[in-house]
Amino acid sequence: MLKEIFRNMFRRKVAIPFPEGFRISPEEATEVMDLQERADAVFGRSLRIRQVDAGSCNACEWECTALTNPVYDIQRFGIDFVASPRHADALLVSGPVSRQMELALRKTYLATPEPRFVIACGDCAIDGGVYKGSYAVTGGVTQVIPVDCVIPGCPPSPTAIIAGLARLLEKLAQR
Amino acid sequence: MESILQKAIGIKEHLNELYIEVEKDSFKDDCLALHREKGAMLRVMLGADERELDGSFRIYTAFSMPGVDRLLTVVLSLREPDLSFPSLTPYIPAAHWYEREIRDMLGLIPEGHPDPRRLVFHESFPAGSHPLRRDWSASATDLKEWGEGTAIKVPQRFMEVEGEGIYEIPVGPVHAGIIEPGHFRFSAVGETIFFLEPRLFYTHKGTEKHFERIGFIEGVKLAERVSGTSSFSHSAAYCMAVERIMGLEITESAKAARTLLLELERLYNHVGDIGNMCAGTGLAVGYARGATIKENLMQLNERITGSRYLRGVNVIGGTGKDVFRHRDDILSTLDSVTRQYKGMMKLLLGTVSHVERLENTGILSKDIAVKLGVTGVAARASGVNDDLRKAHPHLLYDKLLFESHTMSKGDVLARMMIRAEEAECSLSMINALLESNYKGDLTVGTKEIPAYTAAFGYTETPRGAVFYWMKSDKVGKPLRVKMRSPSYCNWPAVPFAVHGNIVPDFPLCNKSFNLSYSGCDM
Repeated sequence: MLKEIFRNMFRRKVAIPFPEGFRISPEEATEVMDLQERADAVFGRSLRIRQVDAGSCNACEWECTALTNPVYDIQRFGIDFVASPRHADALLVSGPVSRQMELALRKTYLATPEPRFVIACGDCAIDGGVYKGSYAVTGGVTQVIPVDCVIPGCPPSPTAIIAGLARLLEKLAQR
Repeated sequence: MESILQKAIGIKEHLNELYIEVEKDSFKDDCLALHREKGAMLRVMLGADERELDGSFRIYTAFSMPGVDRLLTVVLSLREPDLSFPSLTPYIPAAHWYEREIRDMLGLIPEGHPDPRRLVFHESFPAGSHPLRRDWSASATDLKEWGEGTAIKVPQRFMEVEGEGIYEIPVGPVHAGIIEPGHFRFSAVGETIFFLEPRLFYTHKGTEKHFERIGFIEGVKLAERVSGTSSFSHSAAYCMAVERIMGLEITESAKAARTLLLELERLYNHVGDIGNMCAGTGLAVGYARGATIKENLMQLNERITGSRYLRGVNVIGGTGKDVFRHRDDILSTLDSVTRQYKGMMKLLLGTVSHVERLENTGILSKDIAVKLGVTGVAARASGVNDDLRKAHPHLLYDKLLFESHTMSKGDVLARMMIRAEEAECSLSMINALLESNYKGDLTVGTKEIPAYTAAFGYTETPRGAVFYWMKSDKVGKPLRVKMRSPSYCNWPAVPFAVHGNIVPDFPLCNKSFNLSYSGCDM
């Protein structure tokens, strides 16, 4: 452990690049690069997100967790996930909103201070996805709370989520 | 065994499945005879509404005996108006959740069950409504009120612990971390957890009913989305069941591809879980290492299948993508992963403060693991030698050399070490699989689905055994699809493991099991 700490102290810091096979379009890729400036402009370098699982299969959750790993390291853009909706600027909701989570989602939304933004993350959150039509789901976040931005994908890859956040920030900057 | 077969009303055999139809009076004794005398483990218990076939509901109770590759299913038919059956729970505690679920979903009453509360549905779900009955349909108002969750239709009480200094800590369903929803009610004395009651099923999405709606072929997509990190194992088990109903034998190359991807899935989960446990002890460097290795494996998944979660590969009749084309990529990635992984394990096991937190934390005794029918890593860490890859060899597992590791202590450290050994085992299995060439096309053409035919599909996910059981109806559509994820039988064991631990160790215990809420909640 000590050896490792010493080695890291004297080695040049290299930012880990985005993975190969960056699956978003080149225009979106430049958006990602501008993300930091945009987050600075809109939120003064502190977009805080509360992730809410409203019945997702856990793939979207693991992709959000991956955003904080050393490869994507979303904190470097000034964006981070927080532990309480009361600390959040935006809610990132995944899942088709199961009926047993509907009330909890509403309460979480009400606990978020205004101005608050809602991001529907993943195909299920947009319209129910493969679960569309099941008796136990409401069929998307819009059925329960107003949505500002959607990120398609099943699950959206971490890069797609970053691009989606960039779109939200752009939308807010234009307001 | 012979006496059970003699008394049976009907016996049916299909591949390695044996269905024994018994009388209601002898149902309990037959199940107990299998369980106690033969040491058979309860695998799945399910109810099905087969009134359109012959006017009866059926309870299927599947056991398997150690060392015998055969699924023994005791079948009990129930006809209206008497829809009760003798509860097995007082004798086989592993039946506890299954019977409550059957009561909720089908309205069949387990007589003598110690817990009268609902399992799947929360308080606002209308009484007397049973979604898995074939003729069930809910009114829009009922569903709306259920979703709003304010009107209490059937009150559900948490277990109350009374005494001096005992207080309750309610947590969830929306948690502090990025995890799935579930409510936990701790009864604590000071820092020590005296009793924990989880309330799950927040993510209940009506998956089993939805399988009936969308049909056998489309169901693969749904099976992939039951539990994200076990997408591939779920769809492999689902495909296996449908293929067995069709009487389809997949080719050797499809089997090899499925085996390879199952092991890749196990590898990325185990490595990620070991890293994730470091988040529970606050060892940030270990967490970052684990997350980086996992990310490498996820990117490999994406390169070889186009999906980070190995989705869209399984189809009925084989695999839709040729993964062996990427042999060199897989080998070189795994080579660097092996090096990183060994470095990570050296770091973790050499960090005394980390190991010290894991040792003696969250102990699950073998006795409780056996009684509750715990499966997978959690079972093997507590000394239960059960691995579906060995117990019911499928795909190419009978041709591969591998060990099923067990440990006896049952603490968090044991669960981590089992994962570490299995990850290494998966690495060598993948290398062995890549050495040979396999015969046959990737897919074979599907066949028509015969009427009223049933079959099991199963495999070992990174978390434990997954079972699918399905039966077709008159026109070859699904009559009933039962999905039993490993998390479903492991969740009841978590309260036993955390008993006597301190509240701050709960996330660590929870991470060491790493159960899926979505898979459990159906």
